[in-house]
Amino acid sequence: MKRTRLLALAAVLALLGLAELVVGLVRMDVLPMALGDLGALAVGFGPLVDLLAAVGTVVAYPVVTASLAGSVTSAGVGSGLVHVTVGGALWLAGWALVALVLRRPKHELTTPSPAVGKPLHPRLASFVDFHWGTLAAYGFGIFLAEALFIGSYLMLVSRGQVQGGVVQSGLSPVAAFLVAFFLALLLAFLGGFVGAANAKRLATPEATLAFLYFGLPIPIFLSALHAVPTLMLKVGYRLREIVYLSSLLGEARPELGYWLVTAALVLALFLGINTGFVSTSSGRLDLRTSYELFIAGRHVSVFRPRLLLGAFGVLILGIVPPLIIWAIVQAAEAVVERTRIRKLGLADPLAAAEALNQLKAREQTPTAMMTALSVGGVGVGVMALIIVLSVMSGFEADLQKKILGTNAHGVVLKYSPEMPEYADVLSKVRMVRGVAGATPFILNEVMISSEGNISGSMIKGVDPKSVGTVTDLPEYLLPGGKLEWLDEPEKISAKRLTGLSGFDDRPATLDNAPKSRDGHVEDIERDPLLDLPKDEKAEASVVLPGLVLGRELASSLKVVVGDRVNVVSPIGGELGPQGPMPKSRPFRVAGIFYSGMYEYDSKFVYIRLEEAQTFFGVKGATGIEVKVEDVDDARSTMKAIYDVLEGYPYRTKDWGEMNRNLFAALRLEKLVMGIILSIIVIVAAGLIVATVIMLVLEKRKEIAVLKALGVPDGGIVKIFLAEGLQIGIAGGVLGLIAGLAWCLFIERVGIKLDPQVYYIPALPVRIEPFQTALSVVIAVLVTFLASIYPALKASQVEPVDGLKSE
Amino acid sequence: MSEPFLVVEDIYKSYFLNGKRIDVLRGVSVSIEEGSLVSLVGASGSGKSTFLHVLGTLDVPAAGKMVFRGRSVFDMSDGEVADFRNRSIGFVFQSHYLLPEFSAAENVAMPALILRQDRKPALKRARELLERVGLGHRADHKPGELSGGESQRVALARALILQPALLLADEPTGNLDPTTGEGIHALLREVNRDLGITAIVVTHNEALARSMPRRLRLHDGLVVPAEDEPAQA
Repeated sequence: MKRTRLLALAAVLALLGLAELVVGLVRMDVLPMALGDLGALAVGFGPLVDLLAAVGTVVAYPVVTASLAGSVTSAGVGSGLVHVTVGGALWLAGWALVALVLRRPKHELTTPSPAVGKPLHPRLASFVDFHWGTLAAYGFGIFLAEALFIGSYLMLVSRGQVQGGVVQSGLSPVAAFLVAFFLALLLAFLGGFVGAANAKRLATPEATLAFLYFGLPIPIFLSALHAVPTLMLKVGYRLREIVYLSSLLGEARPELGYWLVTAALVLALFLGINTGFVSTSSGRLDLRTSYELFIAGRHVSVFRPRLLLGAFGVLILGIVPPLIIWAIVQAAEAVVERTRIRKLGLADPLAAAEALNQLKAREQTPTAMMTALSVGGVGVGVMALIIVLSVMSGFEADLQKKILGTNAHGVVLKYSPEMPEYADVLSKVRMVRGVAGATPFILNEVMISSEGNISGSMIKGVDPKSVGTVTDLPEYLLPGGKLEWLDEPEKISAKRLTGLSGFDDRPATLDNAPKSRDGHVEDIERDPLLDLPKDEKAEASVVLPGLVLGRELASSLKVVVGDRVNVVSPIGGELGPQGPMPKSRPFRVAGIFYSGMYEYDSKFVYIRLEEAQTFFGVKGATGIEVKVEDVDDARSTMKAIYDVLEGYPYRTKDWGEMNRNLFAALRLEKLVMGIILSIIVIVAAGLIVATVIMLVLEKRKEIAVLKALGVPDGGIVKIFLAEGLQIGIAGGVLGLIAGLAWCLFIERVGIKLDPQVYYIPALPVRIEPFQTALSVVIAVLVTFLASIYPALKASQVEPVDGLKSE
Repeated sequence: MSEPFLVVEDIYKSYFLNGKRIDVLRGVSVSIEEGSLVSLVGASGSGKSTFLHVLGTLDVPAAGKMVFRGRSVFDMSDGEVADFRNRSIGFVFQSHYLLPEFSAAENVAMPALILRQDRKPALKRARELLERVGLGHRADHKPGELSGGESQRVALARALILQPALLLADEPTGNLDPTTGEGIHALLREVNRDLGITAIVVTHNEALARSMPRRLRLHDGLVVPAEDEPAQA
């Protein structure tokens, strides 16, 4: 009694100390710097020393600067110092007291028993409290697994050409990752298996120590690469492929990749430990499951039609309404039955008693309800994963289509800004296998001004005849404009008389202008604030080179087909008094395009290639845009082009590289969303743990009887693992069916979206088989892992404990 | 002479209650011949059940040896012990301890299924055994639907299905009335006579004890031969 009170007091003391420390650090304005050390205080005294040293620096700093600046603002520092000192002392005192109280109590002498001197029973004799061999097995298992992953990945992956670096042919990053990952998982699993087999126990203390001391160094080192620049320069160069692999998940947080892989390896270690323990605790590895499944099937009869139908209905229709309906129906049925029994009882007491007995027998046991809930929980998790991931895939596919519609699949550039020989390059590229189309381009940043507004944009000089073979630009043109008018600017007629954005089908000519009642052409868009030039009509018939721009840009510039705009380029002009003067040139809007992507509709402007050459003083082109036949294989096609052009000074890029950030961000988003949704599955797994524990408690006597009949420990584990797994599989299958059903519903019937806001008319869905299968597999796996602990607990029931005679 | 059937040497076992140690078995040593029918009597709480549990490897003593047909049982691995329990020992407890979700035939067949024998032949043998104990017509009923005496007969059948070398019974008729109990006793004698199964029966029932050819008493933590005593508790 006294001991616990002392312990509580000591803990409170330590906490007070910690609070004081925090107050002091806040007063001194150094809390962010010290957060790491504060966290490490939980595990030892060492960090306190570091903390105080850091605080010492902070104390010295203002004193030094104050003496330089002549003013002293040490009020905060002073009081903070007091708090830190008191806090540190309290914290140390608290922990010292805890250590004192937790000392092992003195061993009381027991009277010698009659068994003095007799040989000890083997089970007691083999009792060892710490297995060093197991620690070594776990530790080397996880350490070598991490090293093996890095090493085999570096050996397998193909390296592209880096200045002076060696080109290594091999697998693509994803393939190399999968192989290296699988090998590392295997090694971690083996380490766990061997260690547990050696100890014939789970040996979790050894496992924790192994992870902390052997498993953490490598991922911490890799994360440090990103935090410490000198480290990255010296060592990171050799590991750049690993860094690249991790950055595929997302540039912002490359450390995420390292820790995910580490977590997966720890999971493999854990699985190995459990497998090793289960298999060796029964003396031999026995994977047969004949009677275990028989018994498990009777304990948990999950695959009953009513239960499954009910769970399915719940999933499809959402949780609450069917549950309410079911509860009401059950209650009503029970009431009706009881009334019948009472009436029957008046006539025939025995029959009534029998009916009452049957009614009671039909009532669900709590375990049955928990089983149903667990199945439902897993089902909801799987269903949510499938639906959300499929919708995200749909968005991704839609985005990819839009990007690839507006942009080329690949691009051929030169290290110099000009490619005068572009026609030659063009013909060579067109002959490469896998190339569906090629077109030259010039790209620059300009400003566009109209009467209504001014805006920055990207201007692209294109060849109107061949651009359609690479992008979908010709199809994106809205009615009223034509891409061919870039080549034939004299065909572009004025303009404002036909309405704002040329959405109607009629060409923009004077004949089609809306007319007033007396036949005069209406000038609809007269902006009263603008001073229109008097010779507007004359001006409107000057032939200017054509220009195609996006809908958003057109509406922000307030221009329609036929309007005149000025393109201003900051480079290429003559030298004026304040530096190079910007060059300006008038163009006429020949067409407006709508691609469905805001970035393109608001930023891009197209003119004829030859116009761009004269305007920017560029010889030839900036590069060649390429369309490939197989979008997913764009990289190798671009590499083939690179080889045909014999490398330097040319370089190629594929669409993945050009939009790497965007797609990497999408992939990271999907991964994070998947992880978050998996939390539902984890919660369901927690429910399964509770359910199986309840089952185990309910069946303690049975476990004892089974053991008395000769079932080994491993058999008991298998029985309860099978029970947990049944729940998981039932839930997974139900979730799969419900999820697919919902996806099909969204696809066929559709959920409408506002196209103005989302640029897409309905919620997109794309069911990816791998993703869907992975969701189900993860759910079943998590369920399996969740059942391991209760199953192991079940196997530890001693036959005698369950069979105490009354 | 062949090796002794079952020899128990120097078994020590204690219980711990409220921090106090209670020495139940203090060096029990006894030798059992094959095919014998032995009764074990003793005062309440003297440790008869404990000794029987140790014999059946359900409990682990602090010290001691047990040699069964030349093999030292406590030196076997956990898997071997479970196997030994499955094949060579049959238990009958005071409560029937049948598995409630399975029918009588399935309960009887369970040890065979644990030995991974095929289900159909095992169930067939189970039904035959149930016939022998007079319960052929109740083979498909669940334990909840059987009376006490019937359940105990099913438990006996379950103990016998693999023809174990040793049958251990812990007060098998403790919960039954005298007539039903006598039926069980008759069965035990029949089984010992016809199948040659060695049986050790812990009992309070003096009549049963006296009817057994060999009588042992657990007294003061040791097993001694029991003398004929007129109804002494």
